[in-house]
Amino acid sequence: MGLNRRTFIGSAVAATTLSAPMVRAAGHGKPRVVVVGGGAGGATAARYIAKDSEGAIDVTLIEPTRTYYTCFFSNLYIGGFKTIDDIGHSYGTLASEYGINVVHDWAIGVDRDAKTVTLAGGATVGYDKLILSPGIDFVDGAVPGWDLNAQNAMPHAYKAGSQSELLKAQLMAMPEGGTYCMVAPPNPFRCPPGPYERVSMVAHYLKANNPTAKILIADPKEKFSKQGLFEEGWANHYDGMIERVGPDFGGANVEVDPGAMTVSIDGEVTNVDVCNVIPAMQAGRIAEIAGVTDGNWAPVNAADMSTKADPDIYVLGDASQQGDMPKSGFSANSQAKVCANAVRGALTGSRVFPAKFSNTCWSLIETNDGVKVGATYEATEEKIAKVDGFISATGETAEVRKKTYEESEGWYTGITSDMFG
Amino acid sequence: MSAGNLFLPALGATGLVLSGAILLATANRDRQELATAEAAIVTSETRIEDFKSRVERLEGELEAARAEVADLRAAAEAGDEAPAEGEEVAALPETVTPVTPSTPGQGNVENGKKLFAECSGCHKIGAGAENGIGPHLNLLFGRKAASVTDFRYSDSLIRAASNGLEWHADTLSDYIEDPRTFASGTRMSYDGMKDAADRRDLLAFLRTYSDNPADIPEADPTAVGTDHTVDPEILTLVGDAEYGEYLSSECTTCHQASGGDDGIPSIVLWPEEDFVTAMHAYRDKVRPNQVMQLIAGRLSNEEIAALAAYFKDLEE
Repeated sequence: MGLNRRTFIGSAVAATTLSAPMVRAAGHGKPRVVVVGGGAGGATAARYIAKDSEGAIDVTLIEPTRTYYTCFFSNLYIGGFKTIDDIGHSYGTLASEYGINVVHDWAIGVDRDAKTVTLAGGATVGYDKLILSPGIDFVDGAVPGWDLNAQNAMPHAYKAGSQSELLKAQLMAMPEGGTYCMVAPPNPFRCPPGPYERVSMVAHYLKANNPTAKILIADPKEKFSKQGLFEEGWANHYDGMIERVGPDFGGANVEVDPGAMTVSIDGEVTNVDVCNVIPAMQAGRIAEIAGVTDGNWAPVNAADMSTKADPDIYVLGDASQQGDMPKSGFSANSQAKVCANAVRGALTGSRVFPAKFSNTCWSLIETNDGVKVGATYEATEEKIAKVDGFISATGETAEVRKKTYEESEGWYTGITSDMFG
Repeated sequence: MSAGNLFLPALGATGLVLSGAILLATANRDRQELATAEAAIVTSETRIEDFKSRVERLEGELEAARAEVADLRAAAEAGDEAPAEGEEVAALPETVTPVTPSTPGQGNVENGKKLFAECSGCHKIGAGAENGIGPHLNLLFGRKAASVTDFRYSDSLIRAASNGLEWHADTLSDYIEDPRTFASGTRMSYDGMKDAADRRDLLAFLRTYSDNPADIPEADPTAVGTDHTVDPEILTLVGDAEYGEYLSSECTTCHQASGGDDGIPSIVLWPEEDFVTAMHAYRDKVRPNQVMQLIAGRLSNEEIAALAAYFKDLEE
């Protein structure tokens, strides 16, 4: 993709134009960018740097999976609105059209002095700028009784793909009148409306296939995203099916027993048929290994997503601690473009423009009943700060809700094209 | 006695009832056919009347023009300043009013004109109509798809054209009914006109701007092209396309850079004025979409101009 560039006739743009182009590659030819993680943040950053630098920067993308399943719309797969193939994407175009060196491996080490990344396969890759977009991992011991060994019995399905398929299979195999239980995560976590859209999609499936089944949510949070919209929708579409136990009634005091398939809420033990445990989250492990985290997340500078710990390491998306933006694919994609512009500017002297961020999250409650929430953000000294926002209203017409859902489908094609080319 | 009659006694009463029913059905069918034929005659007569009155009107205009030419000649011969070449032609009647035959079966032009409001944001039609977000629609009927000069079509329509697609009543109707099913990669962001009668009316209207039978009227082009007015000074801003490229990355999270539309409209290759006007309509909350109001709401006039400058020439 190119551009018929025109002469810039001084419009009032606060752009930082560097006085002379500079190549800040440490004496080894072309500058090198390594991106770890091929999701909404990493794939977008890799694509934009490669596309806009037109070959002036070597871009390597390290991502273990060959087919990437998007977390966004994975609930729609569980509800039966999408197939698993609909949400699967390959990296072929990033390699063939954009010349990105796509390496399917795990990054397991970062040497910040030597500026190298070590891969599980044994290789090391050098970088001038390192962009980490590793998503989330789960906090050990967050839900007593649950660890990664239990994810087959009690799936999280919060990293899409095989976990999503497993949860759906368990749902389909649920006995008549059985109980699906969700252990919801505490803040902050990936995709704030995600657990509640998940509940909606599970209810949609059960209503059609197992109408006497029950949904139980153990929730450590007082409030949740789009709560009014979800609760209105649940009352309209799934009346009497969903019970949510908040912290007042022990929703934060939960233990599970994956062997016995029981959940204990405030000491009261319940037998369940499907148990969807979504534990507390932290930055993907490589951020911690690189030494750029503080607590569970990696603090970053809002202007360019560089870490507070190392100006040559950037963290995007869920793993970053940036301020007001929710942890979402849309946010990661938005942050990636700001970061790509800054990284390219630092390495080639191209123009760097002021950071602008935005996010919109669509959720589906029932067929053609879509809702959305969105906001714009700007970079301040302290953080990414919210500028303005909106949310769908309760009581909207069916026509508006249908349009909102259709818009979300358009967005899905848009963002996946933006990520994978 | 024929062979058929041999069976009659054996058929008995049931057979007679059946034969009666068949006769009755035949009579009904004949009656229906007669009614259809009569209706067709009425239709044809109406059409003949229409054409007659049109011919009369044109003859009248021609007569007036001849008289005018004769006057001019006479004046010239009388030694007045001779009209320069071309003026004579200009003296011919300019106002061939839009032909609006209310031909039954071909749709209602007046209603079609109203329906065209849905299209007019992108398509212009009539004298002086130029390409906008979509190609102009003069002389549409009978033309090869994707053939208007200087308009950049989607690959999808170019492919269809190379496979022989031409625009006629049937192909246009199919396209308008569901554009993305007809041509999946089209940049025409339109959900489709599902009502067949509406499509017929719309096409009847478009038809009046194509050759034979209708002329292009010397009326103003339809389609002001906007639901919003923007300060002319804003429209003169020269956008910084490189800045626009950076800003565009916020758009392409939802709007496909390829111009494809899966629920969110295409925004590529629009004339700058249309782009700027649309963005200001969102910024001023004239257009309702919440996401767009939010995004446009924090863009400056210069940033909107920058985006318009970038998307105008975007290469696929």
